[in-house]
Amino acid sequence: MPVVGIPIELLQEVVGRSLDAQELQKTLSRMGCDLEGLQVVRRVLCRRCSFISELGAQEEIPPDCSECGAELRDEGATEELPDLEVLRMELLAVRPDLFDPGGLGRALRGYLGLETGLPKATVEEPAFDLHVDDMVTKPTSLRPYIVAAVLEPVRLDGERIKVLMKLQENLHWALGRDRRQASIGVYDLDTVEPPITYTAEDPQAFSFRPLGTTEADGWPLARILEEHPKGRGYSHLLQSFTHYPILADAQGQVLSMPPIINSEETRVTGDSKRLFVDVTGMNPRAISSALAIFVTSLQMLMPEMRIRAVTVRREGSEPMPTPDLSAASHTVRVSEARRILGLPLERAQTVELLERMRHGVLKGNGDEIQVQTPSYRNDIMHEVDLIEDIAIAYGYDRVPQVLLPTTTLARERPVELLSQRAREVLAGLGLVEVVSLVLTNPEVNDTSLGRAPSENAVIVANPISRDQSQLRTQLIPGLLQILSQNRHRPLPQSLFEIGDVTFLDAKSETGAREERHLALAIVHPKAGFAEVKAAAEAIAREFECTLSLEPYDEPPFLPGRGARALCRECGPGGAETMVFGEVHPEVLEKLGISNPVVVLEGVLMALAGKDPLDQDEWRRDRSS
Amino acid sequence: MGQTERIPEIEYRLLQALAKSRGDLEVEDLAARLETDQAQIAAAAVLLERRGWVEIRVDESREWILTPLGKEAVDEGWPERRIITAMDESGGSLSIQEISSKTGIDPKVVGGALRFLREREWVQQEGPVLNLTSAGAEALGKETDEEVFLSWLSGRDQERVHETDLTDAPVPLADAAINDLARKRKFLDAKTRARRFPSLSDEGRRALETVQPQMEVSQLTPEILAAGTWREARLKAYDVGLDVEPVVAGKIHPLQRVIQETRKAFLQMGFTEIASPFVESSFWDFDALFQPQDHPAREMQDTFYLEKPGRVELPRDSATVERVRAAHEDGGETGSRGWEIPWDPELARGAVLRTHTTAATARAVAKNPEGPRRVFCVGQVFRREAITFKHLPVFIQVDGIIIDEKGTFANLLGTLGQFYTSMGFPHYEFRPAFFPYTEPSVEVFIYYEPKKTWVEMGGAGVFRPEVTRPLGCEVPVLAWGLGLERLAMLRYQVLHMRDLYLADVQWLKDAPACPS
Repeated sequence: MPVVGIPIELLQEVVGRSLDAQELQKTLSRMGCDLEGLQVVRRVLCRRCSFISELGAQEEIPPDCSECGAELRDEGATEELPDLEVLRMELLAVRPDLFDPGGLGRALRGYLGLETGLPKATVEEPAFDLHVDDMVTKPTSLRPYIVAAVLEPVRLDGERIKVLMKLQENLHWALGRDRRQASIGVYDLDTVEPPITYTAEDPQAFSFRPLGTTEADGWPLARILEEHPKGRGYSHLLQSFTHYPILADAQGQVLSMPPIINSEETRVTGDSKRLFVDVTGMNPRAISSALAIFVTSLQMLMPEMRIRAVTVRREGSEPMPTPDLSAASHTVRVSEARRILGLPLERAQTVELLERMRHGVLKGNGDEIQVQTPSYRNDIMHEVDLIEDIAIAYGYDRVPQVLLPTTTLARERPVELLSQRAREVLAGLGLVEVVSLVLTNPEVNDTSLGRAPSENAVIVANPISRDQSQLRTQLIPGLLQILSQNRHRPLPQSLFEIGDVTFLDAKSETGAREERHLALAIVHPKAGFAEVKAAAEAIAREFECTLSLEPYDEPPFLPGRGARALCRECGPGGAETMVFGEVHPEVLEKLGISNPVVVLEGVLMALAGKDPLDQDEWRRDRSS
Repeated sequence: MGQTERIPEIEYRLLQALAKSRGDLEVEDLAARLETDQAQIAAAAVLLERRGWVEIRVDESREWILTPLGKEAVDEGWPERRIITAMDESGGSLSIQEISSKTGIDPKVVGGALRFLREREWVQQEGPVLNLTSAGAEALGKETDEEVFLSWLSGRDQERVHETDLTDAPVPLADAAINDLARKRKFLDAKTRARRFPSLSDEGRRALETVQPQMEVSQLTPEILAAGTWREARLKAYDVGLDVEPVVAGKIHPLQRVIQETRKAFLQMGFTEIASPFVESSFWDFDALFQPQDHPAREMQDTFYLEKPGRVELPRDSATVERVRAAHEDGGETGSRGWEIPWDPELARGAVLRTHTTAATARAVAKNPEGPRRVFCVGQVFRREAITFKHLPVFIQVDGIIIDEKGTFANLLGTLGQFYTSMGFPHYEFRPAFFPYTEPSVEVFIYYEPKKTWVEMGGAGVFRPEVTRPLGCEVPVLAWGLGLERLAMLRYQVLHMRDLYLADVQWLKDAPACPS
């Protein structure tokens, strides 16, 4: 999860009173914010583009500006701004309205009881039109949805411009799914002449000057995708199209190529007085939420700022003024809140709790409460979401902890009970248990043992490392790895493991099944067949299993020194219960082990006289 | 008196040996004669002295030992002799600067050697040049007494001589000369040594006529036990503080112990244990839990998708699948507005390594949606993370659910609190959290006293109606998924999660089965 730094001074300005660090941390934690702590941040302003880099106390100034690429270590390239005290918080993807000091301050005002109920959200008369061309709805240039707004007057001094940019970036992450579903563009309205057109253009023929360029000429759209840092970063979103989305004004001045980059001419600076904001995307709900959160959060930071509508016009559709900041209506039943939470709630208290979470409540009485949820709360999908808000306002720390009086019977899985018995037996033989990862690779699982990769192994399509590309099909390889890693440790080493191996199985519902195995490995200068055979017999004895042995020369055993144990009672013709023997010196050599090793592996269910296919209840239940 | 006194065999043999000696044997000699070690003889002598049977004369005297420097002088020749030999070879004179290169003597000791040359008047110095004197020329063919003495000493056992044995030397050397060899030349070391000479007293001589040796037994044998000779024998007392070869107890892995305690805790609260496959369909891992199909957790970068098997069948019960689809798209009959995006059954068929054991509990709800019922599942879950100190691609989770008409959020917190209390962590805290499939949602933290911090343990909540209703369940389902590695790490003071798996055998051998 990304982490955001909330400037405390700005937060206090929004809340309207000072908050000591401890109170702040405690309150935010009760609200469900994931706090990392307080931090002092050093800030360096790029003189070329006014971008502010934030650095840790020990961090050096980066060689170049991440926005415009200016060389920051040159004389006079930067200006040191006063240090900033920030609250570091992990972003909660479901609550993008808490990503910035404006939104967070709004929630805090409610939680602390300073201002409760639905926040005012007024959208003034449309400022101008935005025409949507059919091009953006075609599969060859698809990015069909757009909403927009005008913000004026704005005051982007000090931290505010930085907060604006961060909020934009974080909304791209949380609601935009990295700009695919929704991406926000912000422009200095005084550089733009309305009305605006949203269309798509030819990547070779059409050009404009992307943000950060120092060249006087425009770049063809295709070049932006290939050469501009933002173009390269997001080219996958447009690459397959024949035409790329473009926002342009009445004079043909380009505002941006969504969702990649704005034009240099419409750049927002600390001196900008009026802003035009658009959100384009693939998901109408995501773009509306993103715009609502963006404009209402900024209004919390700049109370004098007015939000004016923009009318989105589309051929064959009704003109649609945006943004839509109207509250959504929900119903919460006090009885349902009581039933789910187990709290002795009454209507009046429930209303008060909802209002502290910034919901509006319509006048009424009885069980049902008519709730108005603010437009920035895109996470409210159901009555239960509001019931959670009631619980958060109530305080999780005040919820009584009560056990249910209902009686139910315990039952453990038979294979776990068997595993526990087997653990007692193996530990009783003086072996020390190890636990290894069930993820492995063909080298460890098979080829290092001198055999071809297992054909019945589950293979990962997107391994994070070559070392973990499949599930294990046997326990012995993992034990040999551990012996190899511990070859400089004192001998003897006597280890065991009990765990699941996994096989492909077309008859299984999900195409694979687990099998619980037990295995042991012993290394010391005199380790030999007799020792492991004695262990095999001890195990068989404890499971009341009669062994009938036959030679087993498969890897990793030394031919003539491996055995396969069949149990006649455990299955028709004898079920294979164990294999054991001396490990082939070639295998030991590969693993760098210079003492003889004996190993054993057994199938737990088979040892217990049961069908290994019966291990998992979920399989059995399905076939019955 | 009648009865013969029996004394330890070693004491008896010592008395016998002393009876034959004239008090001129020291402990070392007696030990050699009786073929045993000195410590035993010394101890026996002291015990006999206490009884008045033995007297011990202590003779403190000095002993001279050849030092490594002295050894070098014997082997390579004394520095001053090497110098006059080199002068002789160069025609009777040598510049001081050349000494080191001509003789191979360490330049650092050349100055010392010159002093001795002058003392012996073997050389005369003229500016930077040394000339051999007649005394020096005479010395060329004749070893000094000191040289003879040192050669003799180097031939002796352990290259040492006791001061009383100095008379054995081939040349008489005055005490002053020997002291010089030690202090000035550092060819000798002086050590003061106490020599103990036991001798029989008159009382001891009389006692020897009456006492008998006692048979002494260290290892009991079947023969000794069968014959009953242990009755007469003296069972030797051992030094119980002596080191023995270490043995290691066979034992269960610390993580496994935490797993077993976890199972026990839930079994005690009336839970039934269940399982689900490692290879799971996206349907059960995500869709049935109302994780939207565009949720970041479902992306290739966070979840292991499979090449073999690549696809999994959807549940045969098509009505369930249909209700899940509706819940995602528009809420269906759950009272929700849903995710408002089309639901793709092909995505739901994608095979994954289960990302949580909640897949098991989701299956359990579908199978038996009517309460009251409590189930739990402990098992491996998989996340696409590289192996680091903090993260592993596989870890152990315990998931549990309570399906109960009367179940509430307060009961959920009560159950979790009970669990952590039985695991030995009574200091816990609940904080709001957000998960796609529970509402309200909560995160559990436990307080870790040694570090004075709160450690996150896992998530919990009440399943959303969008989860339960499509699975045919109309009553509250309280659910949780908690990590077990962290509990094991706190309990066994393991700093890094990967150390639990990438086993250091020594750590496993050393990790106590019953930590305090």
